[in-house]
Amino acid sequence: MKKKFMYLACAAAAAMMLTACGGGGKDVEIDMEALASDLLETVTSDSLSQTSSDMLSSIYFYDGDKVDEAVAYTSSGATSCEIAVVKSKDASDTSEIEKNFQTRVDNQAELYASYNAPEAERLENDAIIESAGAYTVLCVCDDPDAAEEVLEEYGF
Amino acid sequence: MAAKKRKRKKRKDSLVLNLLIIVVLVLVVFEGRLIVTLFTHRSAETSTAVSDGAVSSQEDETVSEDPSSPSSDSSAGSSGGSSPVTALAGLPVTAGAPQGNASETDPPAQTEDTVSDPDSSAIVREAAEPVDDSYFSDAVFIGDSRMEGFRNASGITQGQFFTSVGMNLSTMASEPIISTAEGNITVPAAVSGGTYHKIYVMLGTNDLGEYDWEDFRSRFVSAMNRLLEIQPDAILYVCSVIYVEEDKVTTQNYGDYVNNANVDTVNSILLQICEEQGYYYIDFNEILSNGYGSLIQGASEDGIHIYGKYCEQMLDYLKNHYVVSDASASREEASETEAESEAETESETEQTA
Repeated sequence: MKKKFMYLACAAAAAMMLTACGGGGKDVEIDMEALASDLLETVTSDSLSQTSSDMLSSIYFYDGDKVDEAVAYTSSGATSCEIAVVKSKDASDTSEIEKNFQTRVDNQAELYASYNAPEAERLENDAIIESAGAYTVLCVCDDPDAAEEVLEEYGF
Repeated sequence: MAAKKRKRKKRKDSLVLNLLIIVVLVLVVFEGRLIVTLFTHRSAETSTAVSDGAVSSQEDETVSEDPSSPSSDSSAGSSGGSSPVTALAGLPVTAGAPQGNASETDPPAQTEDTVSDPDSSAIVREAAEPVDDSYFSDAVFIGDSRMEGFRNASGITQGQFFTSVGMNLSTMASEPIISTAEGNITVPAAVSGGTYHKIYVMLGTNDLGEYDWEDFRSRFVSAMNRLLEIQPDAILYVCSVIYVEEDKVTTQNYGDYVNNANVDTVNSILLQICEEQGYYYIDFNEILSNGYGSLIQGASEDGIHIYGKYCEQMLDYLKNHYVVSDASASREEASETEAESEAETESETEQTA
């Protein structure tokens, strides 16, 4: 009985440690290009292009002074699919980036509602916004489950 | 010995015959494709006329442009005499030549004009020297999802973009369709937020089902005037509606009205508006047409939204097609010319009466 309890306690501790790793506060290093590239595999209905990093702050409304680096693949205009990976200078700013991403998603959903309803639904139901360490990801794709798996692999 | 000689000659004859057969086969395979292409695009050639100018221009298969035809202020830096099929520096394939799926072995196809009046002074001609991205630092780009795709994929690094999926003349005028950190706002409100010296407008694709073209004309002028009220010193570039790949558009359920005949109609109206109002016309179809009044085959996923490679070419095109003029003076000149022609018409009417 005592042994069983020990095993359970160890498992719980390990789980807690893993959960902590998935949060925004831990120190992780991510290959942003590789992550974006892997997430790109989950988009099949559109041909996304890498967008100039100079344009990203105006697309995603973030404060460029607070961002260290950003990579994004955006749509040809045919769908709402997009992938953005932003590294904040300070990990505490990830919540702000998450808010920026959410604003982007909400605005896009509103615009697509009268133009292409399935895209509006995709944005409302399947847009993924997650953070790990100083990194924040926005992913709107065709296979959100696969995207979640990719994110998990990278420590999100 | 004589028999041997005869035999050798016979073999030579059959070799020549075989070679001839191969040549004929090659001709049938490659030239046959050209004939099929010519027939399949004949409908596009005949369905695009909306004005006298349009009709006459489509009848001309080749156009030699008069370098002196552009107005002095509309072609600053122009290399002069650049025809619609002139290749842009650094671009693999350009104006009017079929691209996309066309292989290197395809014969050169005949091209048709992508504008209703190739000599129009409103068309921005190729400049002698390209500008760099800094030219766009005081530019605002307004448009629909195709303009958004251009922003996303062209690699442009400067300029303010106010774009929205589904943007048309009606929504542009009054609806909150420009995404900002504070939510969606109207185009005029967005344009009021800064000072811009160049305005690029790409509209019309979502108005292709309009059909009341006179109404379209007046609403377009009114929308542009609103922009120029807000930014009076800006050069106004009106981008042509880019052709579509009709076979893909119909399968994607965009509606039958999204077709190249309507694109030609709208473009001919846009060009006329530019002439009358002193705006500048950017003819993207010069590089995106397959030469038969359609978007290059394979240039888009859904027939409408352009792949990145072609957006990059559009950016190169903009860098090579610009004006350096006093925009407001050009518009005043256009409005004076219009007033003069109206006065002449009135006096002629009076004389007749």
